Amino acid sequence: MNQFSLPRRDFLYGLGSSVGSLALTSLLQAEEAGLKPRKGHLPARAKRCIFLMMEGGPSHIDTFDPKPELAKRHLQVFNRQGERESAMSSGKRYFVQSPFEFVKAGQSGADITTEWSHLREMVDDMCFFRGAQVESVNHPTACYHVNTGNRFGGDPALGSWVTYGLGSPNQNLPGFVVLPRNSYPQGGGSNWSNGFLPADFQGTPLRPEGSPILDLTPPRGVTRKRQRANLDLLAKLNAKHQESRAETNALEARMASYELAYRMQAEVPGILDLEGETERTREMYGIGKQHTDAFGRKCLLARRLVESGVRFVQAYAGNWDSHDYIERAHGSLIRSVDQPIAALLKDFKQRDMLKDTLVFFCGEFGRTPDNGMRGGKSYGRDHNAKAMAMWFAGGGTRGGATVGATDELGGEAVECVHHIRDVHVTLLHLLGLDDNRLTYHHAGRFKQLSQFGGEVIEELLG
Amino acid sequence: MTHPILRVPWGLVPVLLLGAFQVCAADDPAPGEVLFALHVREIIAEKCIACHSQGEGKKLKGGLEMTSRELLLKGGDSGVVLIPGNAAESLFHIATTWEDEDYEMPPKEADRLSSEQQDQIRDWINAGAPWLDARRIRELRDRFAEGEVVETSGGLGEDWTNRRYEPEKLWAYRPLEVEKVPEGIHPVDWFVDRRLEKAGLQPAPIAAPGELVRRMTFGLTGLPPAPGEIRRFKEEFGKDPIAAVRAYAGRLMASPHYGEQFGRHWLDVARYADSAGFANDYTRPNAWRYRDYVVRSFNNDKPYDQFVREQIAGDEIDESDTENLVATGFLRMGPWEQTGMSVFRVTRQQWLDDVTDSVGQTFLAHALQCARCHDHKFDPIPTRDYYRMLSVFSTTQFADREAPFMGEENRTGFAQADHWASEKVAHYQRQRKGLDERIRASRKEEKGEAKTGDNGLDPGDEASLARMSKNISRHQWEFDRTKPIAVAVYDGNTIERRNVSSRIMMPGNPWGKGVMEKDSILTGGDVYSRGAPVRPGPLSAAVTLGEMDPSKFPDGRGKRRLALAEWIVDKKNPLAARVMVNRVWSWHFGRGIAGNPSNFGGGGSLPTHPELLDYLAAWFMGQGWSVKKLNELIVSSAAYRRSSRHPDSALLNAKDLRRELYAVGLPRRLTAEELRDAMLAVSGELNRQVGGIPSRPDINREVAFQPRQIMGGTASVYEPDPLPRQRNRRSLYAEKTRGLRDPFLETFNQPGPDQSCELRETSMVAPQALTLFNAEEVHERALAFAARLLRETGSDRAALGRAFTLALGRPASAGEIAACLVHWKAAVEEEEGRIYEPLSFPEKIKRTVMAEKTGRPYEFWEHLPAYEAYVPDLQRRDVDARTRGLAQVCLVIFNLNEFAYLD
Repeated sequence: MNQFSLPRRDFLYGLGSSVGSLALTSLLQAEEAGLKPRKGHLPARAKRCIFLMMEGGPSHIDTFDPKPELAKRHLQVFNRQGERESAMSSGKRYFVQSPFEFVKAGQSGADITTEWSHLREMVDDMCFFRGAQVESVNHPTACYHVNTGNRFGGDPALGSWVTYGLGSPNQNLPGFVVLPRNSYPQGGGSNWSNGFLPADFQGTPLRPEGSPILDLTPPRGVTRKRQRANLDLLAKLNAKHQESRAETNALEARMASYELAYRMQAEVPGILDLEGETERTREMYGIGKQHTDAFGRKCLLARRLVESGVRFVQAYAGNWDSHDYIERAHGSLIRSVDQPIAALLKDFKQRDMLKDTLVFFCGEFGRTPDNGMRGGKSYGRDHNAKAMAMWFAGGGTRGGATVGATDELGGEAVECVHHIRDVHVTLLHLLGLDDNRLTYHHAGRFKQLSQFGGEVIEELLG
Repeated sequence: MTHPILRVPWGLVPVLLLGAFQVCAADDPAPGEVLFALHVREIIAEKCIACHSQGEGKKLKGGLEMTSRELLLKGGDSGVVLIPGNAAESLFHIATTWEDEDYEMPPKEADRLSSEQQDQIRDWINAGAPWLDARRIRELRDRFAEGEVVETSGGLGEDWTNRRYEPEKLWAYRPLEVEKVPEGIHPVDWFVDRRLEKAGLQPAPIAAPGELVRRMTFGLTGLPPAPGEIRRFKEEFGKDPIAAVRAYAGRLMASPHYGEQFGRHWLDVARYADSAGFANDYTRPNAWRYRDYVVRSFNNDKPYDQFVREQIAGDEIDESDTENLVATGFLRMGPWEQTGMSVFRVTRQQWLDDVTDSVGQTFLAHALQCARCHDHKFDPIPTRDYYRMLSVFSTTQFADREAPFMGEENRTGFAQADHWASEKVAHYQRQRKGLDERIRASRKEEKGEAKTGDNGLDPGDEASLARMSKNISRHQWEFDRTKPIAVAVYDGNTIERRNVSSRIMMPGNPWGKGVMEKDSILTGGDVYSRGAPVRPGPLSAAVTLGEMDPSKFPDGRGKRRLALAEWIVDKKNPLAARVMVNRVWSWHFGRGIAGNPSNFGGGGSLPTHPELLDYLAAWFMGQGWSVKKLNELIVSSAAYRRSSRHPDSALLNAKDLRRELYAVGLPRRLTAEELRDAMLAVSGELNRQVGGIPSRPDINREVAFQPRQIMGGTASVYEPDPLPRQRNRRSLYAEKTRGLRDPFLETFNQPGPDQSCELRETSMVAPQALTLFNAEEVHERALAFAARLLRETGSDRAALGRAFTLALGRPASAGEIAACLVHWKAAVEEEEGRIYEPLSFPEKIKRTVMAEKTGRPYEFWEHLPAYEAYVPDLQRRDVDARTRGLAQVCLVIFNLNEFAYLD
């Protein structure tokens, strides 16, 4: 599709000896293939990925990482100072215990709060990771970091890199689909942007309300028959123009893109229509129940999309930014995602798809064991870049494992500590991609998701 | 041609040298020693040591250390890696070839050894793998090394300081080499044709006047040519083609739309936006004055050196002058915010890093950020240079400064903009008052050590209070839009700010409060690790290789930025003029002579026509840095005027597959803005007003009403301007909010304003077809176009003929008219009898978002004052079936390849 890549080809050719000719060929092939499926660099454990993005920063301390020490210090006061502290984290602070009760679940005895009454049953298929860290405590920069590897936005998202590397099985659908909430996250659409990669690899948001894909349908009054007639006239007039311009491939490709759009109009609504699922399935995902309906729909849609041949789906839930009233705020959020996520894992398992479907859950950062003075004292938690809630399921990850650890208060990861870039490298690795070889030459430099390279976190692999 | 030897391909020279010394006397070193000193040691140091050495906080990879011959011989986890004399069985060699899938080293694609480097390792092993000490290495390198050592301000280590560069990759730092062009020959064609002749390739003939007139009009103004202009151009072209082109270029550049088109190119590089991005995405209410400054500068053909000085140091030149103050907005165009969640030192450093890098990219075509943490990997830019450049800005501070409006600034629509903002504020205040009263009545008293979390409020009440207060302060900042304020800078001490949520005022005494920042290297780019002190200074390699006179930049309270600006536009600076002529060239041809307009370093593409680039750079300075004269020179060349169709495409592909010889014109798709502006121009709806506060066009309403999170709540929705003439302005003037992109423009590859864009990309994806075929805004343009055609003509055939002339700049063929007539007729039949309900526009909307403190959704109403007086564009119900039917033909015309592509 990207027929106008000629100038870019030149950039690459112009590199001459600074890159091997083999590497050059593979770069060109990846770009010119667009979304056509292709092999990665390594044997893939996962064929597709669903990224459950818990926007706002869910608390690890109140979900999967119990800290009994906090109960002992509950409401103890201390001061934190220093030039590196922001207004948020300085001044008089209180330790806050978790209002939730932890249990050991499954054969593996994984730690989880009782609020997760459905997900508790799935812990033996999940791999909890307590060692991840990011660099920023601001929502948009941390979201950009988790989504794109670059704190400042503008770089390609994880899903863009994956589809750039692997293409996508269904050519009539986008390879990277995003299921955002009604309200877009801080930082907006840059969280799923293709950055400097070709537009084929852009995340396509399927909006929860209104037209799922913008302009998927024509304005009122324009029938499908009228559209077909318009397309036919367009093809006829274009054909004459093309006659004397056979060398310009872009013109033909552009006409083909209109036909693809026309087919998408027919195909997409069917995939989005959840009515075709059985009542039992819909119930399993919590569709129709007030708390779980919104995210239940996203999870079921995510399954339908990957089944239809979409490579990468990202679903948003939140907002987990509970500076106050964590019991109420986190409690209600957990209830809204618990059943849908458990259903998604169960559903994949029943379909024997969990083995090669990678499910990844995290927020942009975790939360602090203590809280400041926001409007008096309240049970809440501030932002914490040094520890976070994260787990993986399926796709070749180590089910039933808990990897890494945070300190006794949950303030900082202390065991198996890894920067988010290593998480990215590991996700790519599971999908059969080598971060060091998944590069794109842009503005005079080879760029990669991890920015400067990272390592696979072997402990997470099954 | 003062450096003929430098044109010898890199790689040949060492071979020659090796050959040479073999016949020399007996005390000469063995070949293996020379290989080690010249190549192998450097390969190991650059590509292996990082992982294969011990160090604090470092993991040794594969159990292999490569810091000495002994350790290499010892091997690692994979066993023996080096067998002196036997490369074929040495894993060290095998791994570098990437032939064994299990051993591919270095593992990064970008670091992979070239085949030449692989051979050097192989030959060195076969020669016994000798290892030398530092003294011997230096001795051999002095005798045999090729490549150039570049004198810089000095690297962090001696190795870097003494490293050698492939001479051809240093082209950008060398003084211009200006060839003499024979009298009477167009200089562009002199250089371009020479290459073509050498390649044995005849260029395509000159394009037909109808193609040229579109190419030139879009190229210089971003708009389609008017039928009258096409006629006139064709007549003049018939008499004297070159004179016609020159005269038309002159007319186009005299129109204010020229500055809009070239300004748009510049604003891509400068990353212009009307908001600050990140968590709050606050408005930048006065950024539009910088946008208009850029447009004005191109229209007035401001000498480029002056344009550079003003943007970098306008306030230091004359801070009482509005033009100068507004120009410094360039330094503040990147995304930036300071909130209570962030550390001031860190955000201050982020700006210093950002401005250093963006000045480097924009004016010097060097992405300097690579040198922030370490000496540059490819280019002769030491970290010291980075911090010398950065310290030019360490006394630069933000202020939204008083700057009286000038006569040429457009102040249309001020009252209406203020009215809208005050309506928004009033609605929020009314809502807040009601909520406050309700909360007061129901709030329970809080006691005890900690708040229990339930004080009797509805879910969302507190969130709503926060949201309303936040939006009130956001809209209040918008009142600054119509005030004589410039987004500008001043020199002074750094004053710590914890939270910036409104205009930044000038302090009474810039050197009073706050501290003067220390200028030093930050080790590893870490703001908390001060290294060696530095003082302001330029890129040292450009001074030494460019043979510039040494210059001393002031420090302390001196005019640091003015010194930098003067250094950049010094006629002996090898970079500035090359960078700008290359940009202008790329704006005409869609590609630079040097392929990366913002990266002239070793990572960027080498120039395809270096002599032409140098000639143009010198010519440009000689013509007083006049961009208009440069444009005229370029468009009058045969290279620019060529047809995009070559008579012998097989030969063309054989000789110039990459299309870098300019044997044919390169067709291009219209940019996002050109596409929208062209539809408005053709439909007759375009308001050609130049400049002024941002316009708010209709954008996809679902996106406009999309709730958008900001810190502390949800931002107000996007509301279009009430009147068609306010909305239907050129896309350049559409308000650019970082967190809310117009999906139409984004879909057609308008770059995001967070990073500088050196050149537009053109992708082709299905959403573009969906947009252009289905979007309400495109259907509205088609309807207005149809109405215009019927208004201006008397028959069906005449209407269709005029449609082709206006949209495509050519008459329709009989076959086209016939096909369109049939189509029109069928569409009218469908439309007859259809009733279209009047559109209703919401004056308030209900929205549902999640409350942070409850984790539950809540609903609220938002008032949309812009819709109270909203006048829609022409609607289907306003016209008859005949017009609606014709609109279907018009829609197809807007979707034609011929409409979207220029030959």
